[in-house]
Amino acid sequence: MLSVKEQVRKWLEDGKIDIFIGYREFEGHPIPYFFTRENVEELDSFVESGLRYPLEKLATRLSKLHPEKKIGLLARDCNQRALNVLYIWNQLNPENIKTIILNCCPSSLKDRADCSYLKRQEVGTYKKEVGIDNNISIEELKKREVDDRWNRWIYEFQKCIKCYGCREICPVCFCKECSLEDPELISPGNIPPEVPIFHLVRAVHMAGRCIDCGLCEEVCPMDIPLRLLYRMINDIVIKLFDYKTGVSMEQSPFNILGEEVKLEPKSL
Amino acid sequence: MDCRIVPSVCSYCGTGCGVLFVVMDGNIVGTLPLKSHPVNEGKLCIKGWNLHEYIISEKRLKSPLIKTDGVFKEVSWDEALKRAASRLKDIIEKYGPDSVGVLASAKITNEENYLIQKFARAAIGTNNVDHCARL
Repeated sequence: MLSVKEQVRKWLEDGKIDIFIGYREFEGHPIPYFFTRENVEELDSFVESGLRYPLEKLATRLSKLHPEKKIGLLARDCNQRALNVLYIWNQLNPENIKTIILNCCPSSLKDRADCSYLKRQEVGTYKKEVGIDNNISIEELKKREVDDRWNRWIYEFQKCIKCYGCREICPVCFCKECSLEDPELISPGNIPPEVPIFHLVRAVHMAGRCIDCGLCEEVCPMDIPLRLLYRMINDIVIKLFDYKTGVSMEQSPFNILGEEVKLEPKSL
Repeated sequence: MDCRIVPSVCSYCGTGCGVLFVVMDGNIVGTLPLKSHPVNEGKLCIKGWNLHEYIISEKRLKSPLIKTDGVFKEVSWDEALKRAASRLKDIIEKYGPDSVGVLASAKITNEENYLIQKFARAAIGTNNVDHCARL
């Protein structure tokens, strides 16, 4: 079996792909890199990288500029789920994408696993006391009283500095117009952004879209437990529609138009 | 098809967060946080996330301008520097060196900031040096 490096080299040389998005070591930092036939010698510094960047988001951007190019991609479980979502929402053409699967979930059957999520950050005592432990499970959180949970979420949301990092890093955020910038929904110029509307608007839009990669939470400067929030939203999607986002190329229930809804217009 | 990821340091404030510029076909199209950077550990504020925007901003000046008769006119660097030097000289002669103040910037390097304060103190002769981060 070929190593990842050799496989990429072969694909590039055989013309199976035009570009491969992986990682390269640069002055001690693993950073995303675009490998092509022209710079194939750079594969010497190729690394699998324990750190994660939204490579599929780079691929989406690239394919908008060059729709005909064949793109290779280093893919963990989360990248593959994101790719499935991007395929069904017509952001990427599956025929133009080839992936190399990477070890990410730890198992005794594997030599090692690479994922920045494996080293979870310890949550401080104050946050545990008044906020939400980012490492807690939905079941554990739901054991708390509704009022207590509400207060804890509000504590988390009001820390937000409105950096839009969660949206910017999100591999499945591709809308041309974003509700988070709609002045009718969220009044501009306030920090923190309207609590809890800002986060709930994003949460609702993550239903059937979020692939639970956790990049948003990793990138949040205020440590808001965003992964948990979107997990709770998608828990509802699983219960209502029996739809697991990104595990297959099945259409999202939110992408299927049902019967026409006839509502009588009401006078104001 | 020339695509690159270029590591850099955010120039918006003095914190020094590590960033990655996304460059596609020679155009800088986005900014990502550098996950392994010891300062920001993969996080950025809203300014950092939009760092690429001021580089490609339409409003960015690309050459020096001199205002003549109320209108800005493009001039060469030599002409602009000559004009600035002679006007500064006039002002210092007439009103003294403390009539001049110098504002340094977070968007330039440490070394450039050093030179600015040196210029203020040694060339102009004033301690009126301040920094945009105090605004």
